[in-house]
Amino acid sequence: MKKLFALLLTLAMVLSLAACGGGKTEAPAASGDKPAATETQKPADSGKTYKVAMICDSSISDGGWGMACYNAMIAAAEKYGWETAYSDSIDQSAYYDNIVSYCDLGYDLIYAPGNQYTDAVLQAAEEYPEVAFALLNGAESTPAKAANGNVTSLLPNATQIGWIAGALAGLMTETNTIAFIGGMELDTTKGKYEGYKEAAAYVGAQEGKDVKTLDIVYSNSFSASDKGIEFAKAMMDQGADVFFGDASAVDSGARQAIDEANAAKGSVKVFDIAQPSDSLGQNECIICSQVTDNSGLVGLSMEAIENGTFGGETIYGTLQNGVLSAGAISDLVPAEIAEKYQGYLDQMTNDTFMK
Amino acid sequence: MKNSNKLVSFLVPVISILLAFIIGCVIMAVLGANPFVALQSLWIGAFGSLRNVGTTLARSTPLIFTGLCACFAYRCGVFNLGGEGQFLMGSIVCCYIATRSGIEGLPAILLCLIGGAVAGGLWALVAGLLKVYRGQNEMIITIMLNYVATLFMGVVYTNWLREGSVPQTESVPDATKLSRLFGLRATTAFVIAIVAGLLVYYFLFYTSKGFQLRAVGLNMTAAQFNGFAVKRYILMSFIVSGAIAGLGGSAELLGTQFRLINGFGAGYGFDGVAMALIGQLHPLATILVAIFFAALRVGSTTMQAATGVPTSVSDIIQALVIVFTVAGLAMVKLPQFKAFLVRLTDKKKKEAV
Amino acid sequence: MDWEFVSNLLLASVRMATPLIFLSLAELYSQRAGLVHIGLEGLAAIGSLIGFLVSLITGSPLLGVVAGAAVGVLVNMIYAYATINLCAEQIVYGMAINIFAPALASFIYRVYFGAGSELVQVSLMSTLASMLGITSDNFFVKLLLDQTLMVYLAYGLVFFTAIYFNKTKSGLNFKAVGEYPKAAATLGINVVGVKYAASVICGALAGIGGAYLTTCYATTYTDGNVAGRGFIALAAVIFGRWSAGGVLLACLFFGFCDALQIRLQVSSFGVPYQFFQMIPYIATVVVLAVIGMKKAGPKGVGKPYLREER
Repeated sequence: MKKLFALLLTLAMVLSLAACGGGKTEAPAASGDKPAATETQKPADSGKTYKVAMICDSSISDGGWGMACYNAMIAAAEKYGWETAYSDSIDQSAYYDNIVSYCDLGYDLIYAPGNQYTDAVLQAAEEYPEVAFALLNGAESTPAKAANGNVTSLLPNATQIGWIAGALAGLMTETNTIAFIGGMELDTTKGKYEGYKEAAAYVGAQEGKDVKTLDIVYSNSFSASDKGIEFAKAMMDQGADVFFGDASAVDSGARQAIDEANAAKGSVKVFDIAQPSDSLGQNECIICSQVTDNSGLVGLSMEAIENGTFGGETIYGTLQNGVLSAGAISDLVPAEIAEKYQGYLDQMTNDTFMK
Repeated sequence: MKNSNKLVSFLVPVISILLAFIIGCVIMAVLGANPFVALQSLWIGAFGSLRNVGTTLARSTPLIFTGLCACFAYRCGVFNLGGEGQFLMGSIVCCYIATRSGIEGLPAILLCLIGGAVAGGLWALVAGLLKVYRGQNEMIITIMLNYVATLFMGVVYTNWLREGSVPQTESVPDATKLSRLFGLRATTAFVIAIVAGLLVYYFLFYTSKGFQLRAVGLNMTAAQFNGFAVKRYILMSFIVSGAIAGLGGSAELLGTQFRLINGFGAGYGFDGVAMALIGQLHPLATILVAIFFAALRVGSTTMQAATGVPTSVSDIIQALVIVFTVAGLAMVKLPQFKAFLVRLTDKKKKEAV
Repeated sequence: MDWEFVSNLLLASVRMATPLIFLSLAELYSQRAGLVHIGLEGLAAIGSLIGFLVSLITGSPLLGVVAGAAVGVLVNMIYAYATINLCAEQIVYGMAINIFAPALASFIYRVYFGAGSELVQVSLMSTLASMLGITSDNFFVKLLLDQTLMVYLAYGLVFFTAIYFNKTKSGLNFKAVGEYPKAAATLGINVVGVKYAASVICGALAGIGGAYLTTCYATTYTDGNVAGRGFIALAAVIFGRWSAGGVLLACLFFGFCDALQIRLQVSSFGVPYQFFQMIPYIATVVVLAVIGMKKAGPKGVGKPYLREER
């Protein structure tokens, strides 16, 4: 009897495995699946209030990426009269669950600020064809992968972002060594680093300096501000005197370490360039910010949804269309350098930089 | 007396869950959210539609595996806290086979699952050997080995099995993925988990080996006097529990995540221990508890989205369930409490007479 | 490998070892009374948040540290009551604290600051050198004077603990409770009292260790800022063989590994940095395997008087 039971169980296991063998036979029952009550098609009357939800793996009060992206959504929503919601500090394993929760609640647009959400967004987009997805920093190829055409990549030009910071770094460095702290190893982060490096080297050469950029380091977390402190200290030990980063709260840690080092020396000798919003004044060491008008990009998606034209494209953000710019410059930057910097920015806008 | 014991061991978790929810509701009310709306959206998020049920079952699958891992080990008196490390080691080997062996489809799935189970078992064996032959505290060792496994996985996805420019491994080929149940998010991994649970249940309670294993767990000295090969049972329970966790790691990789990435499997080991304890080391109860916790997690997202109550409220509720249940179960085992219970039942008997 | 690299590395090691010292001492006191505590991670998390909030509100990092200690004690009383009075499984309860306390911390932060999206920063405790008005790049000045009061407190506590456990009657009684509680009880030692005292000390030190992170180290609070230090502290106690001096050396060594790991990442060293992060854990396992604790038998595990004997 016992043996029979054991045999049956084993058989059940093997059978269930055999079922797996079919591989991906099922077409994820897209619209045919039982839709949750809230996601039924709404009448397109003009009185409708549209809703947007943002998911984020860093905190929205991190003083960096999360904060800027959240503010971008708020600004765009105010302009177009949308309702907003957000979930932040979520684990990688919960991206999909969070997205789907908002889809089920009848949100019209899911705003996912980061390349790391691509897999989760594509999966949800397949199952919720009536919801629109805006993937900030999504790859150019991503919208084409969504069968329902409901995914848009919002793609600020990473190289230009790097240029904007790198040109100023090249002008300001006195040790001829500059540094970059990354969060996750994302393509966009690498693009920013490369742009930063080449612009600094080019601008440095114009000034008769040989500017070196330390190798990129990754904190592998957007929240570990203590790592930012240690990285910045280690990089200052190697002579770096201008910092740029793409690591959210880790950047705030780095700025803290830079401020401390400056305070110990009695004058501000080490600088930081912030991004993606204008953060001048947040820390003493910030000399300028590379500003990305993500709200403009999000706004474009909202407009497209209201007009029923959303989907399947990549919206670029560049210096030329005004999405990218340089923020206010601090007094620590001498006037003649600020003037030269403006000249380089103009070259970038006119597409004559490094040419 | 025996019946009242059973009743108590059923009541403790139920009362704990109720208490935890009452406290959670008070917190929500203080925050100005309507607790009933919040609980309703929690329920809808977890079970409101077939699709949500699928998501809940999918989330419960890894918890079931690590819960069973803890359950099996503890029945033998072995406090294996290394479910997470064993889970990760299983998924690493599974990932290697799935992406690098060139095999696809059912043979690859079988090989992956077996490979994952073997890897998990071997990783647990390290702790087992140290316990049996060096007299070490297995809890500390397994905690340390969890960290080693997590960092090792980091090396794997940032270096050895890395795909392209992003630190993650390639995705498992489509043909090697576990198929979904009725097009839902839950996959056959869930079925495997249930079957594993039934097998553990059958082994522990319906075989003589299982009986002996439990005897070792209940009283090692007595078991030794009775001539049971205690060391062998301890090593076996390490290997088997590790294998269950490793199998879970493979199933999670082939069924849900498809690639190793930062944060894969984080927290599942300790979660599993909690599930097993609340389920009072009963494999089938452990499965139910795992589904309950998965429902709390899945539903909390909807709750947050619908009411703006932070998801940490759901974390607090989960933690309170554990805090209350474990304390409650310890309390009812105290001699004073048992005496109290005996007095209570005696009185009733007298009254009946 | 110039002197500057080495001196900076050593300074970073000391910096990164300090929170570990507080947490390891917390663990040491707890274990010496027979209570294995894996919940330090959680105690430190809540200590870190409360320390941050109080120092933000009052403007005094020192008050922040005191508040961190107080909340650490408070939360640890849950653990103490359950494990001492109810005889609940210590490891499991420590784990429950690890789930509960960080969730509570994250919740309080969210509720206090609302959905506001501004970076909140506090000012840190000033160092002795800056209080004395000394500025110098000299390594020894930096090592000995350019530290906050908390660093001196940490080393002072190590010194005190070493003397307490080895030279005082009260300390020997304390140890007896962890070694042979029943024998200790027959000698007239208040076993439960000692265990509670240990839990108070443990909670306070763990809370301080957490508060150190937000009052002396980083100016911001982020969820998960304890980042596994609670478990490293557990490792340090074992690696340091349950003695105050040993624990100190273990913390410095682990701090050194961490500092080295960061520097190797910055200089793009070929070996994956994760291998360096593994060192504390592997070292602990190896030490355990080599020293081979003589145990009365695995039966002791999970019992109310559970204790690893040396």
